[in-house]
Amino acid sequence: MIQEFKKVWKQYTIGMVWLLGLLWPMLGIHADGTLTFQKTLTVWGYILAGTFVCFMIYIMKSGSSFKFIADPISRAANGVKSASTALPTWVWITVVMVLVLIYPQLAGRYGTDVAITVLFYICLGLGLNVVVGLAGMLDLGYIAFYGVGAYTYAILNTTYGLAFWVCLPVSALTACIAGCIVGYPTLRMRGDYLAIVTLGFGEIIRIILNNWMTLTNGPNGILGIKPIGIFLPMFENGFTFEHIWVKKLQFFYYFALGLAIVTAIGVHRLNFSRVGRAWESIREDETAAELMGVNTFIYKLLAYAMGAVFAGMAGAFFAARMKFVSPESFTFLESAMVLCMVVLGGMGSIPGIILGVIALVALPEIFRELESYRMLVFGATMIIMMLFRPSGLIPAKRVGTRSEEKEG
Amino acid sequence: MRRRVLSIMIMGLILVPFLFSAVAAKTLKIGSMSPLTGPYASDGTDIKNGTRAAIEVFEEAGGMPGYDKIEFFPQDTACDPRQAVSSANKLINLEVVGVIGAYCSSSTIPSSETLAEEDIIMITPASTNEKVTDRGLPYMFRMCGRDDDQAPAAAKFLKESLGAKTIFIVDDKTTYSQGLADGVKKASIALGMEVVAHEHVNQGDKDFSAILTMAKRANADVFYMSLQGYSPAAMMTLQAKRLGMDSQIVTQDAVFQPKYMDVAKEASQGVFLTYGFTDQTTPQYKAFEARYVPKYGKIAAYATYAYDSATALLYAIKAAGSTDPKMIKAELMKLDFQGVAKHIKFRANGDSGSSYIAYKVVGDKFVPYWEPVNGLIK
Amino acid sequence: MRLLPWHKPHLLVRPNNLKLRKLNTMEYFIQQLINGLTLGGMYALIALGYTMVYGVIQLINFAHGEFFAAGGYVGAIALAYFAGIGYMDSHPIICLTASFMIAMAYCAYLAVGVEKIAYKPLRKNSRLAALLSALGMSIFLSNGMMLTQGVYDKVYPGELFQGRFDFGMVTISYLQIMIVSLTACLLVGLNLLVFKTKIGMAMRATAQDKTMSALVAIGSNKIISLTFAIGAGLAAAAGIMYGLYYGSVKYDMGFVPGIKAFAAAVLGGIGNITGAMIGGLIIGMVEIFGAGYISSEYKDVFAFIILIGVLYFKPNGIMGENIDDTRV
Repeated sequence: MIQEFKKVWKQYTIGMVWLLGLLWPMLGIHADGTLTFQKTLTVWGYILAGTFVCFMIYIMKSGSSFKFIADPISRAANGVKSASTALPTWVWITVVMVLVLIYPQLAGRYGTDVAITVLFYICLGLGLNVVVGLAGMLDLGYIAFYGVGAYTYAILNTTYGLAFWVCLPVSALTACIAGCIVGYPTLRMRGDYLAIVTLGFGEIIRIILNNWMTLTNGPNGILGIKPIGIFLPMFENGFTFEHIWVKKLQFFYYFALGLAIVTAIGVHRLNFSRVGRAWESIREDETAAELMGVNTFIYKLLAYAMGAVFAGMAGAFFAARMKFVSPESFTFLESAMVLCMVVLGGMGSIPGIILGVIALVALPEIFRELESYRMLVFGATMIIMMLFRPSGLIPAKRVGTRSEEKEG
Repeated sequence: MRRRVLSIMIMGLILVPFLFSAVAAKTLKIGSMSPLTGPYASDGTDIKNGTRAAIEVFEEAGGMPGYDKIEFFPQDTACDPRQAVSSANKLINLEVVGVIGAYCSSSTIPSSETLAEEDIIMITPASTNEKVTDRGLPYMFRMCGRDDDQAPAAAKFLKESLGAKTIFIVDDKTTYSQGLADGVKKASIALGMEVVAHEHVNQGDKDFSAILTMAKRANADVFYMSLQGYSPAAMMTLQAKRLGMDSQIVTQDAVFQPKYMDVAKEASQGVFLTYGFTDQTTPQYKAFEARYVPKYGKIAAYATYAYDSATALLYAIKAAGSTDPKMIKAELMKLDFQGVAKHIKFRANGDSGSSYIAYKVVGDKFVPYWEPVNGLIK
Repeated sequence: MRLLPWHKPHLLVRPNNLKLRKLNTMEYFIQQLINGLTLGGMYALIALGYTMVYGVIQLINFAHGEFFAAGGYVGAIALAYFAGIGYMDSHPIICLTASFMIAMAYCAYLAVGVEKIAYKPLRKNSRLAALLSALGMSIFLSNGMMLTQGVYDKVYPGELFQGRFDFGMVTISYLQIMIVSLTACLLVGLNLLVFKTKIGMAMRATAQDKTMSALVAIGSNKIISLTFAIGAGLAAAAGIMYGLYYGSVKYDMGFVPGIKAFAAAVLGGIGNITGAMIGGLIIGMVEIFGAGYISSEYKDVFAFIILIGVLYFKPNGIMGENIDDTRV
């Protein structure tokens, strides 16, 4: 076993030695003129232990040493699978829906808070998925559309007092316009340039939000946004409608859930439509698509605008939930995080994105003590996913099959 | 399809731990909100430590009757309004009785609205903008001074002590900095001085050479620097000196941090700033110093105010005998004692009075220099 | 010199060569020019790394900004160490030079490792995969620095280069002179390396056509590693200059200068070394003049606008592209 992996061993040891040389200047040289090794070796020791364990698991798995554990697990998994196929699909879907619907009652305030955050990121991830996963354009300024939607609702609500449901389509529309404005000059550019230009646009929008004091109140944000107001039918003295504000977190959960479901259904329908097929062709090979008569520019712009629309709607809900917006919520780091979730889950696959969001938003909440390592894990996740599994945890299902796959 | 549904279900199981949000023993929960990361982290950590010291002292003196222990939940706002609001939400979820915080006025104002919805008492040790207590929130209190006292004091200092005729003002557009800058502008004009320019930079900027060259060109008598925190102020001071901008630099209470002199070194010598007056000769202060310094290090700007805020809150809870916000508020309004930083007595709107004096940077210390009533301090 | 009310000894001490007239327009312009030159030099150094790497492997190395930040950190650490053992007072110039060398070597070491881990395995994959890996590496490195060095600013010792020249009301500080001259030396050195040596020729050949270079026995892997190393070394030098100029470094300082430097590289023509130098100077000037004459709040926006404008109207940049366009 060791023989086969000699090359990998060598790379591993070189990597670890390199890491030691990297860590020592940062940790070991002190301002009082001393050179210590203690801290460096401790940190390096931890990293060495962790990576060594992962490495051994990887080797043993490839070398089938885990048969004594792996076999019962796969048999159990098969058993679960066959059990699950015993019941028809709709039963499972109902179970999931029921669980999801009664979740706030079970989870209490904190859990509902986390779940709402997860739902918002699911919407963002699905929207970004339209741009990155379906149409294949790397957009690093995506969060700006989220910000545009949120600020539209904030400004309209605080200045003109317009209600949420009136502002929601307006938010979507402004985000769409922003998407078109950003998309128009950038879509003719190469992939790498597209990424950096969208990043530039994202930053420009954030800087404008931060500096246009008269419109957006600058870095201090806009306060006093009214939450969602709905009319509930009341049956007391005849049939009247009573206006209530959706302030309670549990209540708001259902709205966020509704938004997520609408977004998921929308993205799903887009994916399996003519538009989706056009996007897939553009993603796979743009020149060929152009040759086959697909108007690449219009479809790319459409992808951009659709992604922006989903983000804008999510932004309006976000503003209604926080009742406060500030430019700091819409930085490049947020964009990178959403991208990480999409990449982790699997670009183009809806269940993959849901899994990616849950993994990257809910799991850190459980591991509270390791809060400061969160971003480190994000970065490492992106690198590791690209190196080992670029299609993500749950890869996208292709529309149709390729000729090579048919023959094989 | 089934596999997908199954996988989504398994993912959902990850959320199961949240179903079991446990209920702990009888503890009294106090929270604090301050920047623990970012450029203002030193002030934020002071606030956290000051609150912690107060809780320790209180528990040593017998603790809270009816409770086993007092649990403290420090939250990180990073002087970012968004993080402040989510910290407030976290504290609401944790069901704290009172919050000491926040530091930046732009964080305190939004998060106080969130906390006000749940009627949680909030005492800010460091947010000086007027709007904090002017909004009429019933459970919002302030231990430090107000900017509409600080600005006139600063303007008076500029006129009477420095004899300035022209002023160049810079701020970074945050609630606190801009509020104070506007106040100083108004007060200076009222006193007959000329405000040559009122420029803005962005929070987080590092390169101030363009603005400083503008200031050099204007060559006002005084350069009034209103920035949120010692770190940008230190950089601006350094660059000003290097560029040869010779106007007298005057700044405000956010810069009252020994680290300012560490970063700006020689350039910081002779800089003036306004800050609330703390009598360091009182027995309360000495006791606090003896307790705080060995464990937490040097006393910087807001540890004393945070200590006083937490002490006031705990006394009020003890006197009220319950965690009902109305009763705690009633007790808070009755408080009247000499704290570490100042004499603690709350007014009807939650303020506790301000007394701003001017300090001067000499060596690595802030030396009291001038006070509004008697002028130069001997 | 008229005695103003606050000219009492214990209140205010003004330097002796004070002239109490205001800066006139010409002097303001010259002052901003000097500021812009200093900043532009730093951007040029960072831009060189971007442009050389893109020239050989067509990858926007998002992590390049982090090499810049790492250089700043290691420079601070080295200078603090020398101050700690007492060499700074006796031999400041030697300590400074040593710090530069240490930081540049460290960043070269870091860059070569990063390339082997995150970029080399992905050379056959799509561009998107490499780009995402670069992004992940950027986040990873900046947070790694935050965890090892702390979230606070790391302060640079300020005793170096404290003086300044005053020409009328225009001020040139010693530090600015040092930065500009050091940048010029590094740029000249790089030019000599790339255009007058054999290794440089190998680098240019690999940038132009990797396959062909491999056929004529130029080890493209080694050359790519060398390119990364040189680029990172230059960024490290820029990092130390940045730390000296602004007084402190922070773990997230690489992000915004990184984007502006990339804009500079694109402006000058990606892959083109002379172009990157010129692009850096232009971006620095535009930023300072924009801040001085138009608006100080929006100064970051100017660089982005130039980036977008150049890519839209003249994607080849001012001096023309220089990449391996044989790769499909």
